[in-house]
Amino acid sequence: MKLHEALSKARYNYIPDHILGELLTKRWVDNAVPILFLLITITVFANLIPGFLSPQSMSDAGRQMGEFLIIVCGVSIVMIAGGIDLSVGSIYALCALSAVAVVNLLEWPIPAALLVSVLIGGLFGAFNGLLIGFLKLRAFLTTLITFVIGRAIYDIALDHLGTPIQLSYVDSELWDFIGDGSVGLVPVSLIFAAVVLVLAHILLSRSRPGWHITAIGGSRRSAFNTGIDVKKIIFMTYVLSGVCCGIAGFLFGARLNGTGPGTGIGLEILVLTACVVGGISLGGGRGSIAKGMLGGLIVLTINNSLIRMGYHSGTNQMVLGLMLACAVILDIRWLRNRHKVLDKVYIAPVYTSMKPALSALPDSGTEYALNSKLSETELIGAGEIEGPEDVILDQDDHLYCGTRHGDIVRYFAPDYKESEVFVHIGGFPLGLAFDHDTNLMICVGAMGLYSVSPDKDVTRLSAETNRSYLSVVDDARLRDPNDLDIGSDGNIYFTDSTTRYDAHEWATDCVENRPTGRVLVYNPKTGKTKTILRGLNYPNGVCMAHDDESFFFAESWECRVNRYWYRGPNRGKLECVIRDMPGYPDNINRASDGCFWMAWLGMRTPAFDLMLRRPAARRRMTRCLPIDDWLFPNINTGGVVKFDENGRITDALGDLGGKHHPMVTSMREHKGYLYVGGILNNRIGKYRLHDVNENWTGMSSYWGNSV
Amino acid sequence: MDGSLRPNNLLDEAPLAATCHQPDNAANVAGELWFSSRNRLLKMNLSETDTEPQILREFDEDITCIAGGTDGLVAIGFDNGRIVVERNGDSIEIPSVGRRNLKCPTALIFADGNRLIVCQGSTRVKPSEMTRDLMNLGVTGSVWSLDLNEHHHECLMDQLAFPYGVCFSSNNEEILVSECWRHRILKFHLNKDRPAKAVLKDLQGYPARIFRSVAGETMLCIFAPRNRLIEFVLKEKELRQQMIETIDPQYWIAPALKTGENFLEPLQQGSVKTMNIHKPWAPSFSYGLLVRLDGQENPVASYHSRANGKRHGITSCCEIQGRIFATSKGGDAILELTIDQ
Repeated sequence: MKLHEALSKARYNYIPDHILGELLTKRWVDNAVPILFLLITITVFANLIPGFLSPQSMSDAGRQMGEFLIIVCGVSIVMIAGGIDLSVGSIYALCALSAVAVVNLLEWPIPAALLVSVLIGGLFGAFNGLLIGFLKLRAFLTTLITFVIGRAIYDIALDHLGTPIQLSYVDSELWDFIGDGSVGLVPVSLIFAAVVLVLAHILLSRSRPGWHITAIGGSRRSAFNTGIDVKKIIFMTYVLSGVCCGIAGFLFGARLNGTGPGTGIGLEILVLTACVVGGISLGGGRGSIAKGMLGGLIVLTINNSLIRMGYHSGTNQMVLGLMLACAVILDIRWLRNRHKVLDKVYIAPVYTSMKPALSALPDSGTEYALNSKLSETELIGAGEIEGPEDVILDQDDHLYCGTRHGDIVRYFAPDYKESEVFVHIGGFPLGLAFDHDTNLMICVGAMGLYSVSPDKDVTRLSAETNRSYLSVVDDARLRDPNDLDIGSDGNIYFTDSTTRYDAHEWATDCVENRPTGRVLVYNPKTGKTKTILRGLNYPNGVCMAHDDESFFFAESWECRVNRYWYRGPNRGKLECVIRDMPGYPDNINRASDGCFWMAWLGMRTPAFDLMLRRPAARRRMTRCLPIDDWLFPNINTGGVVKFDENGRITDALGDLGGKHHPMVTSMREHKGYLYVGGILNNRIGKYRLHDVNENWTGMSSYWGNSV
Repeated sequence: MDGSLRPNNLLDEAPLAATCHQPDNAANVAGELWFSSRNRLLKMNLSETDTEPQILREFDEDITCIAGGTDGLVAIGFDNGRIVVERNGDSIEIPSVGRRNLKCPTALIFADGNRLIVCQGSTRVKPSEMTRDLMNLGVTGSVWSLDLNEHHHECLMDQLAFPYGVCFSSNNEEILVSECWRHRILKFHLNKDRPAKAVLKDLQGYPARIFRSVAGETMLCIFAPRNRLIEFVLKEKELRQQMIETIDPQYWIAPALKTGENFLEPLQQGSVKTMNIHKPWAPSFSYGLLVRLDGQENPVASYHSRANGKRHGITSCCEIQGRIFATSKGGDAILELTIDQ
């Protein structure tokens, strides 16, 4: 290997580029930036301010934090529904004043003060909600009006009530406890906040109105069209925001037992910044209470720390303003480009050096030399069936195959002219096998392992396996179950070709060439699936050997066939029996003479083999060109190859003009004929075999003549 | 896509004039249709239908271009770089142009009975290895005017990216030259000392021979389409170098005269046959396209054989007795075209 290839291999095979793409598919990645930012904020200020992390300091900060988080929670709900609430500062001040007035002047019980405070907050919220939800005014202007009116009322009320409140005295332990008390080290206001946040989280993520809120934020028109009562829900969000202000105002009143002219001024900007910095989208539809909470923690920590460090309020506003600007830009850019970034980053090709193969050209004289014999097939279902990846025949000679529409279609013997949809499963049915009781076992692409009884009952056998500890993508899910066979121990051995792509993106997996495929075993007695081999480069067809101890499986992108012993003295042994083929192997099935048929889904080309050694170029190709222009293996030509137990090639069939079978993904021998299917084809071919046992069937080979 | 280059199947539907192996340069020689096929020079019998073309001459080397002039003048270029001019039984061999070796004659045309205009595609490769020149980003092509009597050679244009066709413009004072790798047509005034001007730029394919009809229109043959993957490879220096060094040229990611014959050829995702259908708009390394230009070199009509068609690799076109013929080198066919004015 040349030096640059060695370097290229080291760079692309050992630096896990693919993890970046996998991380970006995760929804929680959106929270990573605010969390990181919060950690940095805390670290920086903990170093700058002595005693920043002391229990006393934390407890003081927590008291204020509780009130702030409650308001953030309310505004988060409004923003997730696609609105905005600028009036929170005024409502908060009014609620605080009313709570203090109720306790001090009216001398009502403390719970009544909370009730009054919440009621006033709710009323103002309802005013907003009425105008915005039902009268369809702009949220920005409407809440600005409420902000101005609320502030005016507050100023007038404070003129009248300020002095009497200062002169009065309250003797209530509960009032003092709410204001100053703690449970352990946790201030009461933070406990209030925790309750509110949990309730709001449940509302948003676990309840019907909550889903409606997100749906409206995502697309108001679509939400309306699906029958959601948009007006009512929007109204509700503003009421909730008002109520949150009420609770927070009550807590503020209890803490200071009084309000001043500055109460609540600038709060709306703080809250808005908190929401956006936390990652709640300004456009609505995307966000969570956790995001709001994160933003709240960041903003208040910065704000308070700057005050403690003695900066003027101007500096403070400036920092907040800059943060808001950055967050808004990030939010908009990221939201618009996230899928583009993901598209560009996800494919992370690796270096693969394919060894030279024997030629399969018709005049090459090798055992692989292809011909055009498969162009002479008799056609079944031509033009009416789409995507028969695998075909199989039962003991009554009926023919079954999957289609790309998720059906299993049955063609009736003897002439295969009539057909029916045997069952509809969904997904993309790929590999097929009959068990001893003629239950049809199916690998369904993008879904899992299924079984269909002769009475057409569909049962899902498995959709997941054990999760590996270090995988970022959820590799417990079966993503591309491809082919299966049933062992003499009754277990089903099957392949899941890739953990990085869905079943229909199999060719993209080839361009990436990252070995992530697995061989799995399903145990019908326990109903459990286990991974037995991993890190394979697109494992595909599976076929039991005749020794009842091992099976063959194809590893498509490596162009090889392996044999694995699942029991007996060699148990656990893996051996490569055919390597460096000129074609990409697909399904493998038994032949009547004790050999095995193997389908070639496509052919290696010198250009693609070269590209496999140039991962950087391949990566640029996937980034610069639309997928239709990518270089692929030549999957317009396939074939059928026969090999014996030792891996010796004994026959090769092709359709070189691509007349009927440009690509072959499966073949099944049955009573002197070979039935040929292709995943991208719209026909099944029936090819007459010569000098074979004309009574031989797959069913009898597996289960004897008793079936 | 729309307008005069809107795709159609006119080349696939055009009547077949003759079938032969890789017909290349068709020319009007004294009112007869002569054309080359590998190392053979053939003549079409136009008066009768369904007759085999008649073999005029067989050479040791493949013929790369021919031109006919008045008074039985014929010029023939060969893959080994020779040009032979025959006049009334005499033949002169032109071994070089100016001080340069003749390496790659790609197109010829007689300016008058005494002057031959020669396109030399490259100084590095033979015409049969032209894709190698593309992959090496070759710009060593030139166009020459040779005085046959006085052996005076004048270089008209130099540093071209594979000139592959030449014809006179409507006023006979200018020549049009197709500059293949830069996908454009240049116009050069023979008697005025000014640089060539690109009259048609950003063509959708690689232009080959050009030909002017009696009616004053220009027929532009496009032998292969531009392809985003090829243009990607042209930007990838190391990949390209490795491809040139290690892969048989017929399996390169490069423009081709025909595709789909051999499974070792490269394939793009969009060209994968699905449900037994090869999409006509699939990306392809070969295509059939002939463009008709008016007197001002504006495209007015086009004749296509799309990705799923057979008559790819149109390399030349000529007019005999008012009938227009085109050679499909990739489709092994000579086609007769019906031109609607």
